[in-house]
Amino acid sequence: MMRSIPRKDRGSSPGKFWRRLLQYFVLSVFLLFIVVPIVMVVFGALKSRGEYATSPYTIPDPPRWENFVRILQGESIWLMLLNSLVVMVTTVIGVVFFASLAAFVFSRVRFRGQTLLLNVALLGLMFPLSIAILPTYLVVRELGLIDSLWGLILAQIAFGLATSILILRGFFTAVPSELQDAAYIDGCSSFGFFWRILLPLARPALSAVAVLAMLGSWNGYFFPLVVLNSEKLYTLPLGTMQYVGQYGSEENMVMAFLFLTMIPALILYVFAERQIVSGLTAGALKG
Amino acid sequence: MQKAKTLIWVVVLMFCVSLASCTQGAEVPATEEPAAEEASGEPVTIEWWHISTAEDHKALWQEMADEFMADNPNVTINITVLENEAFKTKLTTVMQSGEPPDIFQSWGGGVMNEYAEAGLLQDITPALDADGGAWRETFSPGPLSVYAYQGKNYGVPWDMGMVGFWYNKQLFADAGIDAPPQTWAELLEDVQALKDSGVIPIALGEGDKWPGHYYWTYLATRIGGQDAFNAASSCSGSFTDEPFVEAGVKLQELIDLEPFQDGYLGATYGDEATLVGDGKAAMELMGQWAPAVEKDNSASGEGLGDNLGFFLFPAVEGGSGELTDAMGGGNGFGIGRDAPPEAIEFVKFLTSKENQIALAEINVGLPVVKGSEEGVSDPNLLMVQEARDKAVYFQLYYDQYLAPATGEVIKDAVQGLFASTLTPEDVAQQLQDSHVAESCQ
Amino acid sequence: MSAISGHEDTVGLQRKRGLSRRNQDRLTIVLFLLPAFIFIFTFQIYPMIRSVYYSLYEWSGFGPLTDYVGLANFERLFTGREFWDAVWHTALIMIWSLALQLPLALLLALLVERDLPGRGFFRSIFFMPYVLSEVIIGQVWIKMFKPDPQFGFINAVLEWFGNLPVIPQIETQAWLADPKQALACAFVALTWQFFGLHMLLYIAGLQNVPRELEEAARIDGANELQTIWNITLPLLGNAIRTSVYLSLLGSVQVFGVIWVMARGGPIGATETMSTYMYRSAFLKFSLGYGSAVAVVILVISLILSTVYQRVVGQHDYIGGI
Repeated sequence: MMRSIPRKDRGSSPGKFWRRLLQYFVLSVFLLFIVVPIVMVVFGALKSRGEYATSPYTIPDPPRWENFVRILQGESIWLMLLNSLVVMVTTVIGVVFFASLAAFVFSRVRFRGQTLLLNVALLGLMFPLSIAILPTYLVVRELGLIDSLWGLILAQIAFGLATSILILRGFFTAVPSELQDAAYIDGCSSFGFFWRILLPLARPALSAVAVLAMLGSWNGYFFPLVVLNSEKLYTLPLGTMQYVGQYGSEENMVMAFLFLTMIPALILYVFAERQIVSGLTAGALKG
Repeated sequence: MQKAKTLIWVVVLMFCVSLASCTQGAEVPATEEPAAEEASGEPVTIEWWHISTAEDHKALWQEMADEFMADNPNVTINITVLENEAFKTKLTTVMQSGEPPDIFQSWGGGVMNEYAEAGLLQDITPALDADGGAWRETFSPGPLSVYAYQGKNYGVPWDMGMVGFWYNKQLFADAGIDAPPQTWAELLEDVQALKDSGVIPIALGEGDKWPGHYYWTYLATRIGGQDAFNAASSCSGSFTDEPFVEAGVKLQELIDLEPFQDGYLGATYGDEATLVGDGKAAMELMGQWAPAVEKDNSASGEGLGDNLGFFLFPAVEGGSGELTDAMGGGNGFGIGRDAPPEAIEFVKFLTSKENQIALAEINVGLPVVKGSEEGVSDPNLLMVQEARDKAVYFQLYYDQYLAPATGEVIKDAVQGLFASTLTPEDVAQQLQDSHVAESCQ
Repeated sequence: MSAISGHEDTVGLQRKRGLSRRNQDRLTIVLFLLPAFIFIFTFQIYPMIRSVYYSLYEWSGFGPLTDYVGLANFERLFTGREFWDAVWHTALIMIWSLALQLPLALLLALLVERDLPGRGFFRSIFFMPYVLSEVIIGQVWIKMFKPDPQFGFINAVLEWFGNLPVIPQIETQAWLADPKQALACAFVALTWQFFGLHMLLYIAGLQNVPRELEEAARIDGANELQTIWNITLPLLGNAIRTSVYLSLLGSVQVFGVIWVMARGGPIGATETMSTYMYRSAFLKFSLGYGSAVAVVILVISLILSTVYQRVVGQHDYIGGI
């Protein structure tokens, strides 16, 4: 997304050239910082065990695609992928729907005790799942949801609500109140206004919230670890640690597995970068 | 119209919420039911958690479970295989929630005692003693007692060995060492010789903490013997007594030679096994599983083969412990509180002579059932087995024997000794403080 | 709960069919908030209360709660050295984040946002690690920091540089294995994960800075640095406040990456408040004490958040606390 119309040249051309060069140099240094660890994983993933042991940092020669094949031929990674997907989709639907309902009330209706309730809802920002793991686990157990994907999903919905309500409320508040008045005059109910006017308007914010919830669900490790017992219910991060424990000595295979589990998140990133960016910045930059 | 729509959504909402409660009813595990007195023909599900992630071992366990299920069509065995660290986290949470699995990996000792005291485990002494103690008779008494607390057994062993030095014969010979060291002083000399010959004398994965605490524990065992430990652990003596301080001093002599690989403080046990398995380090102090893990972790996948030797932890000059005293431990099955009788039948099956032999044949453990020795063929493992059986005083690893919190303290403290942030006196003092707080009322 | 619609003045109070506006709003409030609050109460508020309750007991986590000890867990926590070490390490991460990570992110944001061809590419790459799981990030950096140059890339690079005559030689380091360096290594991984996020916030903020102001300053003879300092930064206020806020809270709660990389070791060098809580509750079997740590972390988060918002006068995050 560069601006194609050249801006008015400021300063002399050679000065600008050197400045650009410096800019690219600094950026490239940090680019290496980001990219090198991932490249190392890719290199390792495509080597045989012997090649990895003797020269781990070179370009794989020849690339051993069979490492990936070996993992993908196993049933377990597909099952984990499926579990992760089921958990993610359900979590996201829950988070987006319940958070937008609540955010609507917090942004468009005023009532006594609203601030208090909002604070209660946002308390979750301070109490992430990693800190609350044990008490939350005990509640999930009381509900009889241990070793069930539902236990994971419901808790994740709860912990995804705070951020989502925050972002959506910011967005809903920005919708002009004339729109609401007009809708009411036309005989819309509150829900009608919410459902037919506000939600379609808020699509960018909703997708941002959805993508953030997706990432949270997709990457969770410690909570799934304590809630899920059966291997057939494992999600990808659980499977990753299991794989590292099991094949820790075969670094090349571990790398291959790490790389394969990165791919879905990276694909999501490529397609939803805009939503992630707007989600992270939307709630943040208001006011 | 609008209101109708609202109503529909309310219904949908309520449905979502109630869906959660429906699942709740359906998901209550069968193991909740109290254990019946006798095995019946009713369908039963057994939850079994183990940490044997190595491919052939995992497959063997599965085979045994399949066989048992085939013979007992009413029994379903659910196996959960967990990586070691994940297993510890997970077991703790299910224990804290009061729902132990029916059968699970256990090392016995203090951690198991804690579970037993909280009433989370099943007393299987009656099963052991049934039919005139038929099942009990099959076990060697020493290993079995590791899974007993106040005279009651809450589990049984399937493997028991001891810790000793696993060394690379070739590298020792290259450094001009004719015979493995017999005393601590000789060990230090050999370490120097190995260092001079340009190899890493000792591999150590101190990032995991437990491998390093073997050195300190073994030294304490050699210096103080059974009496010193019994006095300290029963609170009549103290871990600040001279032998325990001396253990730290002796260990420091070794540390001062800088015999370990670079960055050993952050290395894992896996790194340690890789170094020995690849022939880069000359020895490691490890338990009976060392050859299997070295083999698994080596780049060649073969390990050292015939080049691997085993020698006992050397004697310490002036120490009151005997060379036959052994420090080590093994693996076993803990039995959860609500385990059905079929689970105990299954454990009996797993620890049958045939299955113990099968286990020994793939070199993943040293069997504990009498008569299954014949399964062990590896000369090094035979040595370990012999030394284990000869031991008069067998000391379980401190981190398993002592209370769980104290076990963490001793491992942390010894790591501090390796990092030179603690003195031998500090280590002894920290251990004693924790022991008093946890176990001496 | 009495409901007052903000719109009842402009909209007719009575609708043709059914409920009054006021009653309908009341219904809306209840129905719309109910599902979210069922979740929040069940999985957050109730567990929090339970944590406070557990923290008053000496409890291994097994069996019934019997040993009520009052505030003894808190006393032990505040008088012991371990907890303060953990607080110090957490504070270090916080300080490093504010002093190194955020300025770095700002610098890169400024570099990227200056009509640079290819800036979209840079931005995408810099932000990429943020989408990866903590398990993956931890595992990747364990491998980067392995002490043996044979397996650890960073030491391999140092060794390679060491073989060149011109550059002053840097010895290979133990990194995560060295208690003096381990926390810094974990911080590098955290920076890898998060600086893209902060950069993103700054870039978004920069989009709102009118170019004309900067141009005007330049015409008035200000150099690049002066322009940034006097014009750009003040206008970035909101973005900076937000990123500082996220950074503060994130530091207090940092857990996954550190746990995967170092589990608090060696010799407690990477123990933060959250790893300390986890170790106490799950490894040392002191659930009561662990709950006390969790409660303290929560209180610290609340205080930090409140004080920070008071100080910067921003009430966006937590309504009006």
